[in-house]
Amino acid sequence: MATTKANKHTPLYEFHRTHGKMVEFAGYDMPIWYTSTIEEHMAVRNRAGIFDVSHMGRVDVTGPDAARFVESLFPTGIAKQPNGKSVYTLLLNEDAGIVDDLIVLKVEEGKYLIVVNAATKEKDLRHMERVGAGLNFKVDDITEATTMIAVQGPSAVEALQPLTPLPLADMKRFTHAFSTVKGIKSVITRTGYTGEDGFEIIVHDAASGAMAVWEALMEGATPCALGARDSLRLEAGLPLYGSDMDEATNPLEADLGWVVSKDKISYVGWESLSSLMQKGPARVRRGIVMDERIPRHGFKVTDRAGEEIGVVTSGTYSPVLKRGIAMGYVKTPSPQLGDTVMVVVRDAPSNGKIAKFPVYDDSMYGWKRRPHQQL
Amino acid sequence: MSNPSPYQVPDGLYYTKEHEWARVTGGTARVGITDYAAKTLNDIVYLTLPPVGKEVKQLGSFGTVESIKAVSELYAPLSGTVVGTNQELTNHPELINQSPYDSGWIIELKHSMLEEEKKSLLSPRQYEELVKSLDAEHQS
Repeated sequence: MATTKANKHTPLYEFHRTHGKMVEFAGYDMPIWYTSTIEEHMAVRNRAGIFDVSHMGRVDVTGPDAARFVESLFPTGIAKQPNGKSVYTLLLNEDAGIVDDLIVLKVEEGKYLIVVNAATKEKDLRHMERVGAGLNFKVDDITEATTMIAVQGPSAVEALQPLTPLPLADMKRFTHAFSTVKGIKSVITRTGYTGEDGFEIIVHDAASGAMAVWEALMEGATPCALGARDSLRLEAGLPLYGSDMDEATNPLEADLGWVVSKDKISYVGWESLSSLMQKGPARVRRGIVMDERIPRHGFKVTDRAGEEIGVVTSGTYSPVLKRGIAMGYVKTPSPQLGDTVMVVVRDAPSNGKIAKFPVYDDSMYGWKRRPHQQL
Repeated sequence: MSNPSPYQVPDGLYYTKEHEWARVTGGTARVGITDYAAKTLNDIVYLTLPPVGKEVKQLGSFGTVESIKAVSELYAPLSGTVVGTNQELTNHPELINQSPYDSGWIIELKHSMLEEEKKSLLSPRQYEELVKSLDAEHQS
């Protein structure tokens, strides 16, 4: 049914197939859950979870013009960042439409490591080739030679530290370092897609060594699959490329204007973005917490009078709030935080409120939580 | 998910191809979804149930069940009138995952055409075969 022989497998596929419920995702056979999405979700919020994110694209960009290349590619100033920074940014087209969202690791002056979405990797590579034409650098796709695992949650340091000599507690969020994990050369970046503290590790092994790392991590963390990854990122308010944004979405609408370096010019999309900034967005990405029922992708959003004002782009059940939550777009001037809106759930308008992200209390959950507040 | 079949298919029930079951006791029948359906949906978090008194037709939709990821229709194994719904599920939809054939029952029907309609429902053996074939398809 969902699985076909053409799908790719990550180095941890045998574990997933044996222990998880499999689905097709971005051309890969991936687990949707191992035991229960809610259990896996709460393991990450309360302790630590591990995710196989090897399907995500990883490319090395190196060469004398690598810095000039990333400067012309991204709306965020990356080349000026100190070595060891990990930066969330966007790829834009000439119209300032979002081609992808990604993390760029500035390794050093002439060396960058870019982590992109699985479904957009080939498109991104073509985009980079066009933008970089005439510059002296090379792009190496290291996706299939490496394994990428996310270790997320308040106990992420404790789960990963036994496997690496790198002093993890000293690392700042959105930085990275080269070290080893279980003796294998690895990049460790203090980033993630759950709202929690944690790490993403790129292990330079795509075979038994990777499996040994996964099994060792299981000593201190719960295996988590795509279902929990989606509900965690939605509670945290992190958009999913392809659902919450695409090339018809600009960074201002997506509420990602903060990635744009105001002092930066002459990157792809800059001119369109400058004129958009003067006009302001016509719609904006917002969160909704429902009184009851569960919103889903494509459901209409109306005001209390029933007039259509937007659409849900992602919806799920929040295991922390025990309610339906959504992100979506509402036209501007948008309703204020706390305002009541309606989501039309299969013909039945249902009440919700415009909410800030993350939707959970960030003194109790997430990376900002008070220390030692583990539940 | 390992072999042999990890799904319960109790005797004495009628099953639909859509993964509902009916347990007939005299003039009424309790209806729910099967262990296979509950495990395939994973965490069940929300239900919409019909009002008592509603008439349902065999294999007509009588409500929905939602997991974190998806919404599924619920189909009536038998025609009849809804005489009760499981109120426990309002606050504890996870009862369907924990006990799909007992405390996770969904509605109670006063059936109207049992003798005729039961012929088109699956026996436990037939339903078990169906689930095995679906599972095999998914593993291949």
